[in-house]
Amino acid sequence: MIEVLGLTKLYGEFLAVSELSFAVRPGEVLGLVGPNGAGKTTTLRCLAGIIPPTRGTITVSGDDLATRPIEAKRRIAFFPDEPRLFDYLTVGQHLNFVARIYGVPDYEARGRELLAEMELAEKRDALPAELSRGMKQKLALACGLLHAPSVIYFDEPLTGLDPYGIRRMKDSILRRARDGAAIIISSHLLHLVEEICSHLLILQNGKKVADGTLAEITQRFSQHPETSLEEVFFRATSGPAPAPPPLDPPAAPPASPP
Amino acid sequence: MISALLYLQSRSALNRFRTRLKRLKQPKYLIAALAGGAYFWFFMLRFWLMPGKPRPEAALAGVQVFQMPVDLLQGIGATILFVIVLAAWVFPHERAALIFTEAEVAFLFPAPLNRRGLIHYKLARSQFAILFTTLLLTLFSGRWRAGPTQAFIAIFGWWLILATLSLHFLGSSFTRTLLLERGISNWLRRGLVLGVAGGIVTAIVLWARRTMPGLDLAEVNGIKGFTEYLNTALASGPAPYLLLPFRVALKPFLATDFSQFLLALGPALLLLALHYFWVIRSNVAFEEASVTASEKVAALLTAARAGKGAHLKPMKRKRDPFRLAPTGFPPLALLWKNLIAAGQLFSTRIWMVVLVQVVVMGIAMTSIGRGEHQAWPAVVGGLLIGLLAMSFVIGPNFARVDLRQDLLVADLLKAYPLRGWQVILGELLAPVAILTALQVVLVVAIVLIFTPEPKHFPLATRFACGLGVVLLAPALNCAGLLIPNAAAVLLPGWMPRGKDRPQGIEATGQAMIMLFGQLFVLLIGLLPAAGAGAGVFFLGKLLLPWPVVVPFAALLAALVLAAEAALGVWLLGKFFERMDVSAELGQ
Repeated sequence: MIEVLGLTKLYGEFLAVSELSFAVRPGEVLGLVGPNGAGKTTTLRCLAGIIPPTRGTITVSGDDLATRPIEAKRRIAFFPDEPRLFDYLTVGQHLNFVARIYGVPDYEARGRELLAEMELAEKRDALPAELSRGMKQKLALACGLLHAPSVIYFDEPLTGLDPYGIRRMKDSILRRARDGAAIIISSHLLHLVEEICSHLLILQNGKKVADGTLAEITQRFSQHPETSLEEVFFRATSGPAPAPPPLDPPAAPPASPP
Repeated sequence: MISALLYLQSRSALNRFRTRLKRLKQPKYLIAALAGGAYFWFFMLRFWLMPGKPRPEAALAGVQVFQMPVDLLQGIGATILFVIVLAAWVFPHERAALIFTEAEVAFLFPAPLNRRGLIHYKLARSQFAILFTTLLLTLFSGRWRAGPTQAFIAIFGWWLILATLSLHFLGSSFTRTLLLERGISNWLRRGLVLGVAGGIVTAIVLWARRTMPGLDLAEVNGIKGFTEYLNTALASGPAPYLLLPFRVALKPFLATDFSQFLLALGPALLLLALHYFWVIRSNVAFEEASVTASEKVAALLTAARAGKGAHLKPMKRKRDPFRLAPTGFPPLALLWKNLIAAGQLFSTRIWMVVLVQVVVMGIAMTSIGRGEHQAWPAVVGGLLIGLLAMSFVIGPNFARVDLRQDLLVADLLKAYPLRGWQVILGELLAPVAILTALQVVLVVAIVLIFTPEPKHFPLATRFACGLGVVLLAPALNCAGLLIPNAAAVLLPGWMPRGKDRPQGIEATGQAMIMLFGQLFVLLIGLLPAAGAGAGVFFLGKLLLPWPVVVPFAALLAALVLAAEAALGVWLLGKFFERMDVSAELGQ
């Protein structure tokens, strides 16, 4: 369960996030969308305890991230868009290291399970330099899920994944939600958001534009429930969607013989 | 097309300069630039630019070398050039590759440019480096002081030498590639080149032996006699023929007046032109090798900018330094991780090199001991004591497997459920362990070897002092390492990392400020510990023999220092918790 109240982040005089309040309950998947520079990544980093908010409170399963950071962080997993790994630790050593940091007594069994799920079992002794981009992402995912987090943040989770990887990532996210995790996904891929998110939070210039279930938000910006999320997004952030490019004019019929 | 490439070069240089100038608005760069500028001015430039100022011998050496006869200088210079050129034909093994930046590869290789265009661009770009080196060498040699004509001759002369050499390197790399394509392997080429060069050199030596009186070092009349012999050997017989092209390249630089310079200029320019046509006419496919080489250089630069050291050696899997249980004190996980990282630095080859050096040093010292000087243990012991002292002062700057290394993943560390002090302590443990282990080995060696006055310094006394140092070492290392790590947390912008790292004068200034700051803070921090240790020592000495008191005094000093370090770790942890990695590190 994530509760955010009045989250504000300033960089000098620049307002990155302004008075943001929302909540994500267990089993919910919140899509955090907005144009570039809307404050999505800053929000996620504040929620993960990586950067301190200027104002506001963030509570993770009842623990305030400012006053009880250790208890709160034990429940969190944050996956940045670029997998962050140690160049000199093998796949197995990564899991061992993370297990000690989070105190996971049964890490060997869980690690084996996760590596099998991520199809990395054969790569246990490989260094990150020997892994492809997708495999690195899977390793980061295995490390993040090792301590069975109940709150998970994804920043652009599909970056660099092949179609198989995309499918697996979506399945993995949905499975964790079904198991009761509260999940936030920041992404520009609106079809991903539409496919796997139960809730939506639209940000623009650091401010909340809309917040609610997909149906609620669609209803707010359009009369038709079938309106695509893309159309809703454009209406919410910049008025109507740009007109589609004109189609090529149909070829003239061949001149009929006299 | 050439104009577009020149535009790219000139704008890039100008923008780079502007960026560095703009950066001086930030106090951290301005202060560093001022400190670096002051260092260069007081220790180097003022001796060269202000003739009235007394100059150290090192600065004068560049001028004095030109007091030799011009013929001899020509001979020596030509021989040096010969060796450089020979090396260019013998040592390299890779195919011809022009190094471009990643952006140049991306923009220029797919562009409608032929190979010649790329070579011309590369030659034009290399001129910036050549001109800079030319100015620097002219400044160093101090020859510009002899008037504008000499300055002009020096600048143009250096340029001719460097430009010709640069073209020769490029041309030789193209020819090497052509030879490879025609089935002549690197080893065959090396054999041929060395065979021909060896034959010529043998002919010169044989000629010198037959026609010149033998060189008896005992009878040579000082350096003058030796130079005369050398001059004759280089200026007569077959040597002048071998060295002719090299002398041609050197002559304009060594001209004593303008008319001599003009006379020498024609042949030198002809040599340069021949090299140019050689390079331009070589039809060698260098693109693929260039892309690979450029990628390597880019990776090298990225690694260096990221503070990972400029090496491209692939990492190897390292065994766990100890079994890390999944539960327990979390900072040990950071120790475990950093010891694995440190293992990357200690390869078998490095250990072999160290072992060979130790053995060679040992044999050398033993042979001294067998001669008149029987005091080799004192010499070796003295050396080891110096090394031990240095390990405490500059060791923390070398053992960087701590927060300085992990600053790049500070966001990851901040996401872990760890208190700030746990992160700082965990990061400090590995370098403390490494330095302490090294120091214990040194102490053991010193205790066993160092025997200057056996009567006053028996083994028991040496053991007591050694024990004192060993007791003090972990706390002292921890205190020493806290300072650069505090700089990483409090002044992360000053740590060399990322593209924004300072370069040139600013980097020198920054390194100096950091070193002096570190020493100052360490000395201040040592005062209470030294006071406590000294108190115990002087009081204890009244009751017990001083060697017995030393370990107790060291233990108390270590406890005081450990308490200070613990306070430092806790405080630094608080700062780490408040550190905004987005604002400070741009992560």
